[in-house]
Order: sequence, then C-alpha cells, then structure tokens
Amino acid sequence: MTVDPTVELRGVTKRYRDTTALDAVDLALRPGITGLLGPNGAGKTTLLRILATVLASDSGDVRLLGRAPATPELLAEIRRRMGYLPQEMGFPLGFSGFAFVDYMAVLKEWTATDARHDEVRRVLGLVDLQDVGAKRLRTLSGGQRRRIALAQALLGAPDLLLLDEPTTGVDPEQRVALRQVLSAAGERSTVLLSTHQTEDVAALCDRVVVLDHGRILFDGAVHDLVATAVGRVWMADAADPHARAAWRTGSGRHRNVGQAAPAGSEPTEPTLEDAYLLLLGNAGRVAGVAA
Amino acid sequence: MTAGLATRPAATVAPGALRALAVLEARRYLRSPLFLAGLGVLVWSTVVATGDFRHNAASEDPGDLVLLPAFFLGLLGVVVAYRMTRTLDASGEAPDAAPSDRFRRTAALCLACLVPAVPAFAWIGWIYVALAVGRIPLSSAITPGARAAILLSGAVCAVGGPLFGVLVARWARFPGAGLTAVVVLAGWALLATVSLALPPSRAGTLLHLSAPFTGWVSADGPRRPAWVAGGSPGWYLAYLVLLCGLAVTAALLPGTTGPRRRRVLQVLGALAVVAIGCLGLAVLPDPARVPL
Repeated sequence: MTVDPTVELRGVTKRYRDTTALDAVDLALRPGITGLLGPNGAGKTTLLRILATVLASDSGDVRLLGRAPATPELLAEIRRRMGYLPQEMGFPLGFSGFAFVDYMAVLKEWTATDARHDEVRRVLGLVDLQDVGAKRLRTLSGGQRRRIALAQALLGAPDLLLLDEPTTGVDPEQRVALRQVLSAAGERSTVLLSTHQTEDVAALCDRVVVLDHGRILFDGAVHDLVATAVGRVWMADAADPHARAAWRTGSGRHRNVGQAAPAGSEPTEPTLEDAYLLLLGNAGRVAGVAA
Repeated sequence: MTAGLATRPAATVAPGALRALAVLEARRYLRSPLFLAGLGVLVWSTVVATGDFRHNAASEDPGDLVLLPAFFLGLLGVVVAYRMTRTLDASGEAPDAAPSDRFRRTAALCLACLVPAVPAFAWIGWIYVALAVGRIPLSSAITPGARAAILLSGAVCAVGGPLFGVLVARWARFPGAGLTAVVVLAGWALLATVSLALPPSRAGTLLHLSAPFTGWVSADGPRRPAWVAGGSPGWYLAYLVLLCGLAVTAALLPGTTGPRRRRVLQVLGALAVVAIGCLGLAVLPDPARVPL
C-alpha cells in the first residue's frame, strides 16, 4: 500500500537576485522522519520556508498535505496541520514560556481555553520544560528557549512537522530526550529535520536528503548513503595527504576519509558524516567541515 | 492502492479564533505598564481638575478636559499598541506559519485597542457625575449636545491613539518608529493649539480641527476671558471616528492579497472621502469664537 505524499515539490526554484537558492527541486515526503543535510548556503532553510508557506517559490509546483497553497483558505487549512520551527527564532522577552506557547496556540486556533492550556502543558512536558513554564523567557538559557520554540511547533500533533536545526544549543542529555519526542512524532507525522548534526540524522531518520547549491545531491535511505563510504574510511598513524579529510582522533591515530583506503591500511566502519563529506566531494569545503 | 491522508475537519474560518486572539491581546493591553501609568495620571488629573471647577466655573468648562484622556490614554496608547504589534515580530516566521494570518492578528490587535475606551467612557461618566454632585453651573456658550460631542471626542482619541500605533507598527519598520509617531502626533496637536492664537478664520479652524487631538476652550492670555473655538463638535467627532476607521483599514492592508486587498482598498477610499466630508462639515459653521 502506498501512502500519498504529504509533501510534493516539482521543479521548485527560488532565486535571490543573482543567487539560485533552489534549482528545480523535486521532492516527495511521506510520514516518517527525513533528515535534510547540506552545507551552509545549500538552500535548506529556503526549502523549509517554502514548505512552511512563509516564502513563495519563483516557479514549480508545491503541494502540502494534499493541497496547493494557492488561496488564503487553503493556506489556513495547510497551516492548521503543520508545525514549524524556524532556524532563527527570537522571543518576546516579556512573555513567560507558558504565555508564549499559549499565544502560539491561540494563533493555531486553539480557542477553548481549558483544552488549550492542557495542550500547552503537554508540549512543554514533551520538551521537559513543564517546571519552567512560568519563568520569563529572558531568564531561560539558550537551550531552554530552543526547546520552547520546539514546543510551539509540536502544538496539536501536526501532520507535517518542519524543523530547522532544532537541537542547536541543546545539551547532549536533552538532545537524546528530544530524539525520543521526534521519533514518536515520526510514527504518525511527516517530519523534515534540517540539521548540521549528522549524528541526529543517523539516530532518527530512515531517509536523508542532501542539498548543495540548491540541488539535491542525494535522496535515499540513510544506510544507503553510509554504504557509499564503505572502504573509504581508514585509520592510520598519520594523516594521509591524499585523503579528502583527515583528523587526529582521541586515541592518537588519524581517521582518514578519501576515495579509497590504501593497501595495507586499516579500514574502519564509516559513519553518516564520512559519507556526507565524501558526497560533497569538494576538498576545500570538506577541509573546512573537518577542521 | 493508495491511502488518502488523514484529514481533520477543515473549516474555512475557525469559529472564535478572532475572539480568542482579541481577548489575549486585550489582556496584554490591560497589563501594559504604560497603559496603567497613563490611567493613573488620568484619574489623578481628573480629580484635581474637577475640584477646580467649583472655583473656576466661569473660566473653565468640562470640554476643556478633553485632552486628558486623549493624551494619557491615546498618546501613550500609541506606544503601547506599537509595542504589542511589534512584539511578536521578534519571533520570526513561526507566527506567519500559523493559520491565524496577519489580517486576523491585526484585527485582533485593533479590537484590543478598545480597552482604553472603557476608562475613557468611565471618565466621561465621572465628569457628568462630578458636575451633578457639585451643582456646578455650565456656560451656555456650549450646548449640552456639543459638550457631549467634545467629551466623546476624548474617548475616541483614547482608542484612536492605539489604533494609530498598530498602523505605524504595520507600516514603519525603522527603529523608533513608535516614538516618532508619538512626536508627530503631539506636534500635530501642538500645531492645532497654536492655530487658536491666530485670528478666527475658516483656514484656522481647518488647521485646528484637522488634528486628531485638540481642545476647544482657550483664552487670549492669562486671566483673559475664555472662549470656545469655532466649528462643529458633532462633525469633528464623526471625523475622529472615521480617522479610527482609516487607521484600522490601513493597518489591515499589509500582507493582504487578492480580492480581500481590493475590498480593503475600497473601504479605505470610501472612509477617506467621508472623513474629508465630515472635516469639511466640522469647519463649515461660523469660525467666530464664542465667549464662555
């Protein structure tokens, strides 16, 4: 049985003056968690903004939750079933965490006060902030504010959840806790997770899309991307000058990522990050990432 | 076989969404320290001013107090509503991705601007009660209807100021736009007051009554007899109400598209024409000043 795509993009292009942020992107997403990887400026945020209906594409077809966002009424119908965490989210600092999420819930048309407050408490509980909901946002740490931002995206258990770097500034313990929340969301919803954290993608996603220069470089299963790096990662006592990236690990040995492990080297299990670095294939860019 | 997406009941307009948002915004307005401070000063200054009536009934009129709610609720309300409107802008795109679009959010903010109308109308009631209790004689230079219109114009200003704040927040994006709006509005009101120093004329009356905040009772100098400015308080009140309508409509315009934008523009044009007509009718009567 095939499930209709929640998100369908065909030939979507977006330009900012002379820069092409998205170049004829085709994409279909179904329920589950999809990771979106790419270097800075690859077009990830532009893609998420278009999907979140806050930015219009220049050309191409966009269908979200079975509808084209063509009229204010259709836009509202889509937005009722969507949660969006933007990359940069400021906060009205006079608000408490609870008041802010409550305000967002009203914007999301939770009109019955009791039900709305229950929902706000639920999502604050999901991000483990039920105890600090009464505190002013200005008194919360950056990681706590990021979780508040995630909480508002989770309101109403949306069918489509768009998350732009949700774990930025969040400590490792909370990141693991958030993975539990997101994995639960992915069981019923379509979740698109844009991140620089390859380990989050490896831990959560069954599918990964890699963007670069506005084009999709890879779209497939995470294990398929990792498989492209098998035999191309090796350990050695020194950095290999022919490797795309090499760095000294905590053990004192060097991890090398390149086109092929040299004869006699010690191949090691590749990670998603290794495969991602190899996929980008740009030595200058890769060196920057690995530094 | 293809399984359809699970769909929830999709209403074009969620019932009660605007009301819920307006209630939330009204609560924010009520809790604004600037609004509460302005309210406090209004109460204090009104108590002092109504006490003075007993001693200066011959040289003062309740219509002279109209600037109190206009300034303490209206002018301060510009900043209150401006800040409220801009507050959520700090949250970036998350509110824009919610089903309550900018039109509805602006409409809710405009409804919240009715909050200062409550103390403003209470203020009018207070004035009449103080006059009745103190058995203070009133000048016949101002008819009861004109006096009521003058006092009501103060209440309209108390709402109009915040509406202007929403309008500025929706259109002006530079830092300090709210304070600039206050300065412009205060300057306009000052210009109208200065115009009262000019010899009576229709042009002077036009300058006086075009301002959204203005008083009606003045004098040519300290200890000189007071007089009432020329013009029609009733039509001036109608002009102020229409200015409020213009502020609301213009505030709703940004982000509005398609047929809705056309409708908003039509309403804006119609209100502007009627407002100019009302201002003309307010200026039309004899500009001569009437001694109090």
